[in-house]
Amino acid sequence: MLSVENIEVTLPNGKRLVDNISFTVARGEFVAILGSSGAGKSLTLRCIVGLTQPSHGNISILGETGKTYSTTNVDAKGLRRARRHIGLIFQGANLVKRLTVLENVMLGRLGFISPLRSCLIGFKDAEARDAMVALDRVKMAPFAARLAGSLSGGEMQRVSIARAIHQRPLIYLADEPISSLDPKNAEAIMGILQPLSRETPVVGAFHQPAMVAKYCTRAIGIRGGKVVYDGSPDLSPRQLENIYSGSDGDPIPMPALSEQTPIGPSPFFVQPASHQAPRDLGHGAPN
Amino acid sequence: MTPAMPNSALPSRKLLTSALSLVATLALLLALCWYLDLTPSSFEMDGSFLFDLTQQFFPPRFSLYWNHSSLLWLSVLDTLSMAFLATVCGGAIAMALAFLAASNTTPHPVVRLAVRSLLVMQRSIPQLIVVLVLLLAVGIGPFAAVLTLLIGSVGMFGKFFADAIEQVDKGTSESVQSLGSTKLQTIRYAILPQVLPSFVANLFYAFDNNLRAAIPLGVFGGGGIGFQLAVAHDLLHYHDVMAYTLLIIVMIAVMERVSDWVRRGIITQPASSHA
Amino acid sequence: MATSLFPSATAAVEPPFLEWRTRLVRQRWRQVATGGTIALLVAITAWRCQVNLASFLLGIDKGVPIFGLFFPPDWASLPSMLKPMLVTLVLAMIATILGIVLSVPCALGASSNLAPTPIRLILRFFIALERGLPEVVQILILVAVFGLGVIPALIALSLSSIGMLAKLLADAIEEIDPNMLEAVAGTGATTIQVIRYAIIPHILPALLANGLFRFEFNVRAGVILGAIGGGGIGYIMRSDMLTLDYQAACMATLLTLSMVFATERLSDFLRARILDGGQMRRGRQRRSIAGAAAQ
Repeated sequence: MLSVENIEVTLPNGKRLVDNISFTVARGEFVAILGSSGAGKSLTLRCIVGLTQPSHGNISILGETGKTYSTTNVDAKGLRRARRHIGLIFQGANLVKRLTVLENVMLGRLGFISPLRSCLIGFKDAEARDAMVALDRVKMAPFAARLAGSLSGGEMQRVSIARAIHQRPLIYLADEPISSLDPKNAEAIMGILQPLSRETPVVGAFHQPAMVAKYCTRAIGIRGGKVVYDGSPDLSPRQLENIYSGSDGDPIPMPALSEQTPIGPSPFFVQPASHQAPRDLGHGAPN
Repeated sequence: MTPAMPNSALPSRKLLTSALSLVATLALLLALCWYLDLTPSSFEMDGSFLFDLTQQFFPPRFSLYWNHSSLLWLSVLDTLSMAFLATVCGGAIAMALAFLAASNTTPHPVVRLAVRSLLVMQRSIPQLIVVLVLLLAVGIGPFAAVLTLLIGSVGMFGKFFADAIEQVDKGTSESVQSLGSTKLQTIRYAILPQVLPSFVANLFYAFDNNLRAAIPLGVFGGGGIGFQLAVAHDLLHYHDVMAYTLLIIVMIAVMERVSDWVRRGIITQPASSHA
Repeated sequence: MATSLFPSATAAVEPPFLEWRTRLVRQRWRQVATGGTIALLVAITAWRCQVNLASFLLGIDKGVPIFGLFFPPDWASLPSMLKPMLVTLVLAMIATILGIVLSVPCALGASSNLAPTPIRLILRFFIALERGLPEVVQILILVAVFGLGVIPALIALSLSSIGMLAKLLADAIEEIDPNMLEAVAGTGATTIQVIRYAIIPHILPALLANGLFRFEFNVRAGVILGAIGGGGIGYIMRSDMLTLDYQAACMATLLTLSMVFATERLSDFLRARILDGGQMRRGRQRRSIAGAAAQ
């Protein structure tokens, strides 16, 4: 269970990129975070995982045994301990291309293996078998001995999910996992993430409202660093417009978890001129 | 129900194979060393040795730099001259030979074969032998070193230039030829302008190479700062040796920058084509 | 007459023509100036290098009979030269292995994305030094400390191998996609684990390929260093020349040539296997690699 409390990220000039964002995620949820680029959703994800330190606020993850892990106000060791329990899925898969698929999956549990043992001896057979189970879950088991660099985009994304599964985390974090995939592969990935979310919560940033409506259990809309929507994933066009076309300042290009977020308005949505009053797009007429 | 996994992918198996091959290679190497008496017994390095080292070589005899009777700066000039001369003349000869060795400019395929083999030979013969023979032939001094460097440069760059000529865009040379020009004119107007920029860039690279190679040749008797260094070394004047060493380091670093600068100056100028 | 009939035409033609002609003249001057400078420099350097026709002709006169003395090579001395040849080879091998192994920590400490600045500056300076100083100079200093023999040659070759390999490695490490590193670090891995599992697999093929290339160089350099007292076949070659045993020297040369040639072939073969095997072992077509690489 993830608890995000009053997160704030401020630039030196005083501008607030993430302004008092709070939400909690419970077991069984598949949460989608929506928002235009620069709205602060990638930054929020980065804060959760500790790649950016918020200026205020608290992020904590509650484990099964009641232990709490935090990524704010901890030292490097504490951060590492917290990260072990967060499964990261990036937009670009980010596998180590020169290692085999199986080795890439086994990397997931690096946080639980002592550095000495992992560097000198490597992985154990039991870990390899667990990794195979994870691979099987994403239906990539036949590819185990292949080099990760020889796979296609969709296959690599599946392997990166297997890596996260192998980690057995308390929560999965996905930064636009399907943005660079074709529709068929995107459906496959969402089809893997959804059953996964029933045992372990999944929080993902998405740009595809249709997919969100189909697979997710909850949607959080972020605009201008603030939460503007938190509820059913089935969003009406007006609600989507509210999230995306904010006139709260210009979008500032911020590094995503993996710096590949497309800059610009959502491709599924024709942007009306920002100084016009938002029109009812039910009539379907673009500008 | 674990899915099937080839045994060779098991981490323990992989670890075993890599460990075994590592041990085998090390064992072989150690065996060779023992057979060749390459034992580390000559490695007597205790603290006093290091102290000796510092005492022997430091402080470097900087007075050589401004002492008027020392041949230091002249020898630097000599080494630079050796490299320059070998590069310029070697480059010219290499260019000429390259035209004979390229399939689209050679007068006859037999000539091409002969020149190509000549270039290969020049490239392979160790500079050591060449310089030793030349020292016998023309005597000690920079001349032998220049000739050695020349042979090396021609061998190295003749092949490269020939390949570059062969890869020239056929269209240009055909269009010039169709105007009724002779082979020589084709070379001058169609091929040369295309190949010249990379020639020049390679000449700078060759100069840098030759400068570094001139020093060992000097040590063997070829003159220049290498020769001075060897003389000081044989006379056990280690302070002088350190002074020369520092100068060599500075010389190479400075010449790298200078040739970089000159090359950039030439590139930014509009390419001069014979109009 | 023509000018009054077509005033606009001639007015349009004149300036461009003049411009072209002045440009041509200026270009010609520049060529003459460049050519003249080069010719002058050649003359000066030729004088400094004691280049003269007389000694050249004398050299040919003396050199040709000497050249004849080299043949036929002294086959009888071949068995006694095998061991020194092996010494040079092993020397090159050990220097290359030390270079490969020790260049990794050196490169890790010299990369801007990994190392703190003071360490990086020191290591970069060391790398520049090792690459700038010819091995011959290094061995002269080392001989003064360690005496004649294989050890100074080994140290000199190892140090310059480390320098060369570490520079290539450090540049490669600095170019690694930081997203990949972030992904591995995101699992909670320590820095050492990230290095071992994300960085080293990435640079390993390049390291091995460059190491093999360096091995070729080390064999040739080992011959030269041997001649300065380092032992091995270089030493044999030089001492034979000094004792005027030219046929034996010729034999040594032939051995050296074959050793260098064999080394080059072996290195090329192994390098091709490494670079190809790393790309697509039992895998798909190249296009999916390109597609995956474009992600």
